Amino acid sequence: MNLDWSVVWHNAGALAEGTELTVALAVLTMAIAVPGGIVLALMRLSGSRLLSGASASFVELFRNLPLILVIYTAYYVMPISLGLTFSPFTTGLVALALNVSAYNGETFRAGIGSIRKGQSEAAFALGMSRWQAMREVVLPQAARRVLPVLASTWVSLFKDTSLVSVIAVGELAYTAMRIRSQTFRVLEMLTAMAAIYWALGYPQAKLVDWLHRRLGVSE
Amino acid sequence: MEFDFSPVIDSWRFLLGGLGVTLALSALTMLCSLVLGGAVGLARCYGPAWLRWPLVFYIDSMRAVPVLVVLVWSYFALPIVTGIVLPPFWAALVALSLHIAAYVAEIVRAGVGSVRPGQTRAAFALGMSRAQAIRQVILPQALVRMLPAFGSILSITIKDTAIAAVIAVPEYMKQSQTLAGESFRPIEVFLVAMAVYFIILFPVTRAVDMVYVRLAHLGRS
Repeated sequence: MNLDWSVVWHNAGALAEGTELTVALAVLTMAIAVPGGIVLALMRLSGSRLLSGASASFVELFRNLPLILVIYTAYYVMPISLGLTFSPFTTGLVALALNVSAYNGETFRAGIGSIRKGQSEAAFALGMSRWQAMREVVLPQAARRVLPVLASTWVSLFKDTSLVSVIAVGELAYTAMRIRSQTFRVLEMLTAMAAIYWALGYPQAKLVDWLHRRLGVSE
Repeated sequence: MEFDFSPVIDSWRFLLGGLGVTLALSALTMLCSLVLGGAVGLARCYGPAWLRWPLVFYIDSMRAVPVLVVLVWSYFALPIVTGIVLPPFWAALVALSLHIAAYVAEIVRAGVGSVRPGQTRAAFALGMSRAQAIRQVILPQALVRMLPAFGSILSITIKDTAIAAVIAVPEYMKQSQTLAGESFRPIEVFLVAMAVYFIILFPVTRAVDMVYVRLAHLGRS
């Protein structure tokens, strides 16, 4: 077995660009999925049967599908059924956003649901409107409970961005595997890829643990 | 746009074979992860101190790295290091089990940790040994609390086996890709795949939610 680690340094630029794209993909997905999740949760909690049914179906559908299948389907279905041609990056972003929005929707719903009814009743007794009670009493308390779960979702998302490599989005996993097949330095490139993900993911996982300890609710 | 599902119907045996592989891989992965993760989790809680930090390092590393990376590394890089070439199915089983066992170990730790220390002290006060206290007092309570989380792990496992398509394990996702490429009917093939995965996974997540509601009160101490 002869190893030549110089291949990693020669391609450091490409790997750095891939890493940037991975981070960008995760940030953009979260930027879409947090408002998306809030909308889904509010739809679910609204009195309307139609809205809450639509939200529940959306959440259940995407919670029960493998993400890689959603990515492939988006890749093939969106151009044909919508007549639009998106770049692989946008397609991957759409698939990730759909998936994470569904999880965030459940997170927000559970967060709002975990605030006892007495809190909103007390707010009504003080003469607050439904919207005021939601904004000034329920949401600030729910936010604290939602934050650690959102952080866990972020870590999962960060790892799941690697799956869009299957539709040739040039993020870290795709870049590393492309260099692997060009240079045949399989062990070196795959280890470098794993090491970069590890270096980025490990502190995040630790931070999430800390957030859970710090903000976790124990009753 | 018109649909033509005939390629899917004509290839039902091919797809059913893929479904069989998906289910077999899920079941074996779940079994191996439970055994390995249970052992790692218990060793982390009760094992010798020197063993603790390597186990924590393993658990946190697996939580930090995407499953795709573990799969690809096990299939392409591991043979270079060890000289053992595993067929895709077994490489996927090893990679998925190593990955999911870390999550199982975390669940075991959380479950054991959630049993109040008073329970252990009471067991000691009754004259039980450490092993007896763990086996007869802590684990029965902890197991009930872990059950819903194991259910979620099952649904994650089934979803993660689809990623094994990347290393050409002939499971349902891979067979769908092949069929989509051969038949030029990707929409129909992938819509059917969505239906198939949903039909498998929806009862699992529903059952988990039900188990959670039914068992939540039993775990209280």
